[in-house]
Amino acid sequence: VSDAIDSYLKALRTELAGADPATVQDALGDAEEHLRTALDAALAETGGDEATLLAPILAKYGTPAEVARAYRDAADRTRPGLGSTRPRERNPLQRFFGVMVDPQAYAALAFLLFSMVTGIFFFTWTITGISLSLGLFVLIIGLPFFGLFVFSLQGLALVEGRLIEATLGIRMPRRAPSSPSGRGLVGKFMARLTDPRTWSTMLYFVLKLPLGVITFSVFITLLAYALELLLLPVLQYVLGFPLIVFGEHRFFVPAFLTPVLMLAGFLELAIVLHLAKKTGTGLGRLGKSMLVLR
Amino acid sequence: VEDLSAHNKKFQKELKSGTVALVLLGVLENSNEPLYGYQIAHKITEDQETEIMKQGALYPVLRSLARSGFLKSRVQVSESGPPRRYYQITAAGRTALREWTVIWRENRDFIDAVLEGNVSV
Repeated sequence: VSDAIDSYLKALRTELAGADPATVQDALGDAEEHLRTALDAALAETGGDEATLLAPILAKYGTPAEVARAYRDAADRTRPGLGSTRPRERNPLQRFFGVMVDPQAYAALAFLLFSMVTGIFFFTWTITGISLSLGLFVLIIGLPFFGLFVFSLQGLALVEGRLIEATLGIRMPRRAPSSPSGRGLVGKFMARLTDPRTWSTMLYFVLKLPLGVITFSVFITLLAYALELLLLPVLQYVLGFPLIVFGEHRFFVPAFLTPVLMLAGFLELAIVLHLAKKTGTGLGRLGKSMLVLR
Repeated sequence: VEDLSAHNKKFQKELKSGTVALVLLGVLENSNEPLYGYQIAHKITEDQETEIMKQGALYPVLRSLARSGFLKSRVQVSESGPPRRYYQITAAGRTALREWTVIWRENRDFIDAVLEGNVSV
């Protein structure tokens, strides 16, 4: 139907080579929406040959090079998420403890803890979808059910992408990938099935549960230790909690050691926040590589 | 200066790079309903003889305005063709529009005054 639009999109993709994949996806989606809408409007208004109607529309939209430049300019101007403009401190000590006031570190920590909740949900959704589809395959509704499941993955991937961008500051797509021009539900379904992104998204959602459980357990434990040490005087002298309980024995920290242990807790909190940032970035990159294939 | 038209183009480009956002906020403020990209582009370029900017360059600006919280957007499936992203101005967008309008008028008045020779430098 619209080979000219497809070849325009292909040219735009080529012009955007090397740009952030999420930007590419946004640009292609915008262009497709505009060109198709404009073509439909022109067809309804005057009618006639698509190719001749499309030429002025394409000219007005701009050449692939012009449009690509506009997206590159906009991507350079705006940085995603909490991408802050905070000044770089030189002092290594400042840099180490500066993490305590870094909103990105706390956001990353929130992502790692919350990953167990989303992990359980995504895992359950995917496993249920796959097994119900397989189970229903003998019946007539198996295939449509599988189709619905496959389409739902794209929406969930978008949600996970928004979470990743908001908490980890990694640029993720703002819209679902544009579906190929083959219209009709069956064509779209087949396109989804042959799209490696569908399968890598499924794998990501399954992986998300073990990863979420691990990050939740590790970080909640580390965080609890750090807080226990930091709040030692309150726990010990106000609430009467010992530092360690071992069977019948209750160990209290001698008063002179309390400040040392509090300092250790402070140190641990800083280390935990650094670790959270590093782990979060790693997991965010993994998410990006599996949800937004190049 | 051998080729003035290239310089004209450059001047035009630099000028509009700062004002497109203001124009888009203005169009969406004056609209009673959310608009999608093609409608916005159509409104802007409809009654202009000369083409001031390519329609494709409007979309990234819409996206960056949405990212800054001045616009909100939602995707709606259309009965024909691909889903459309509808944009609507937010309260923050209205505030920005008011303040940018003041800044724009100040600049315009200043430039006019200079060009008319009413400013002693």
